[in-house]
Amino acid sequence: MNINIQEQNGTYVAKLSGWLDTNEASQFMEDIKPLEAHIDKSIVLDCKDLEYVCSLALRGMLKLKKESATKGGTLVLRNVTGEVQKVLTMTGFIKLFDIE
Amino acid sequence: MESIVFWGFNLYAWITIATVLTMFTVLLFTKLRADLVFLGAISILFVTGVLNAKEAFSGFSSTSVVIIGVLFVVVAGLTHTGVLQWIVKHLLGQPKTYSKAVIRLMLPVAALSSFLSNTTVVALFVGIVKMWSKKLNISPSKLLIPLSYASGMGGVCTLIGTPPNLIISGLYADHTGNAMNVLATTIPGLFCLFIGVLSIIAMRKLLPDRKAPEAAFESTSDYTIELLVPSDNPHIGETIAEAGLNDVRGGSLIEIIHYDDITSPVPDDDLIMGGDRLIFAGQIDEILDLKKSHGLVNADHHVFTMSEVDQNRQLRTAYVTFGSSLINKSIGGSSFEKDNNLTLVAVARRGKRIEESPRDVVLQAGDTLLLECPPNVKMDTDRLTSQLQFFDSAQVPNIGKKTFVSTTIMIAMVVLSALNVIPLLQCAFLAAMAMLLFRCCNVDQAMKAINWEILMVFAGSVVLGVAIQKTGIAERLAFGILDVCGTNPIVVMAAICLVGTFITEFISNTAAGAMFFPIMYEAAEKLGYEPYPFLIALMVSVSSSFATPIGSPTHMLVYGPGGYRFSDFMRIGLLMNFIILAANILIVNIIYPLTPLNP
Repeated sequence: MNINIQEQNGTYVAKLSGWLDTNEASQFMEDIKPLEAHIDKSIVLDCKDLEYVCSLALRGMLKLKKESATKGGTLVLRNVTGEVQKVLTMTGFIKLFDIE
Repeated sequence: MESIVFWGFNLYAWITIATVLTMFTVLLFTKLRADLVFLGAISILFVTGVLNAKEAFSGFSSTSVVIIGVLFVVVAGLTHTGVLQWIVKHLLGQPKTYSKAVIRLMLPVAALSSFLSNTTVVALFVGIVKMWSKKLNISPSKLLIPLSYASGMGGVCTLIGTPPNLIISGLYADHTGNAMNVLATTIPGLFCLFIGVLSIIAMRKLLPDRKAPEAAFESTSDYTIELLVPSDNPHIGETIAEAGLNDVRGGSLIEIIHYDDITSPVPDDDLIMGGDRLIFAGQIDEILDLKKSHGLVNADHHVFTMSEVDQNRQLRTAYVTFGSSLINKSIGGSSFEKDNNLTLVAVARRGKRIEESPRDVVLQAGDTLLLECPPNVKMDTDRLTSQLQFFDSAQVPNIGKKTFVSTTIMIAMVVLSALNVIPLLQCAFLAAMAMLLFRCCNVDQAMKAINWEILMVFAGSVVLGVAIQKTGIAERLAFGILDVCGTNPIVVMAAICLVGTFITEFISNTAAGAMFFPIMYEAAEKLGYEPYPFLIALMVSVSSSFATPIGSPTHMLVYGPGGYRFSDFMRIGLLMNFIILAANILIVNIIYPLTPLNP
């Protein structure tokens, strides 16, 4: 699992890649901490190369999204496909995220 | 082959002995269907030449087996017109003491069992006795063993009350040409029942005072329930605290199973996801209210929307039977729910709290399962009876004009055959026809009531009895018993009845009756006495299985609901075996004095 955060025109884009399972979840939570500093801005989680997401990481993403909403920011998921889309549908989280 | 003799038995006799021993080993230690095992045994005896074709199939044309089959229809007529319910409603009452309660319970149950199938009577009474015991403030475990014992002892009181009586009397008629009267066992049976009731009252301290397993479904900490979050649930994304699931009335959320991990204990800020399995401990009705208030469901598979779940499904309680293939397995680890369209909601075990999720619990015999089932009309509980014993009070017929009609038919059947106006077989056929003609039951109900598996076992038992007699085993055993017991007929009668009583704890009463018939018959003849009283004593003893829950299907019916352990039956049952044996030998010798055979 890899995460690469870049700023593009005031939007913070985190490119997620690989297999994000329960073993990787705590590292993922550490890795997205820098985004908390920009919680009032636009954040995009790009899932193009993300092969799988575990429930712990998914709940972490939703917490981040809720926090951003209270601070006036936005969090969007981008390029959701395959297994990740299936997991989002099954958990009903697909309706809670903005997806582009 | 008959010329090869080893230890006094020829080869045919040894084949029979090996077949019988193998058959009972298979029945005790495997889960193979009993009718298949009996059929296998008959095939071996036929193929090896022990029995010829006529003998091998004699069980299927045996009058007693046909009567048992026809009586299934007569009983269906009675049960579908509410006769049992009427009797229950009017006879139990509100006794003030335990002794009176035992009498009020055991006498009607015995009276009903003397005409109806013991299992039908006990199955109906189990639920009623449990409610009644609550009203009387007596633990159900103090009343359910007496209930089962009463049905066994009542069954002995008439020839039609229990299959071994019909089998033994049928074999007697085949041997002597004289039919026994349908009430031949009534006085010995009533005397043993009287002694049995007094013994239960005297030995009441040996009955456990245990909380019933359903109480586990009523008190807080004794069970766990699993509810699933559908993918369209409105609480998805909320924390446990926001959804109000951290403070559930009557219980608590002890675990969440997400799709790839388990959270326990559950923090208040954990987020709810679709597909989560929420494990609660608490009061069943309060927690099941969450289904309505929070849009949760009982399901064994993922549910995307609430509409996928049949809202007409209902909760039913069932007990894991002895020999069930579910024993030592978890429901989650098998395809049981999917195969039977059932969903496990909760598991309870004799009042003990089970910490695991219900679906992960490794089941034991007697465990109580709360299942969400399809509506009655769609459910085939008969198919499940080898696995689970459903406790059903939902399908209670109405009491009306037909109740009177079916009772009249039954009484007419018994009276006409008792007075030798019409033989029992013809009476049974007429009664079955009358039940159908007067619409006490319909053809479907009648056909469903005929238990072919039991009939096959009965037919097989008769054939095994024939083999035991034909090969000389019965004669040799009879001589062996005479060698050990001497020539006192009462000692011999008591000895064979004693062995019969203990054998019947492990094999079916009918099989024990069919196999001990030739031994008892031969022993009586060798002593020079008329076998009739010996056979009456045998009828009582093979139905006197009190000491193990597997001794009778009725014991298994009360085992789960009473929250019993195997040893509970041993403690009181062993003493009961000896008491009833003594009463049996005494009364039979008074009512039917031994008469020497005419030279």
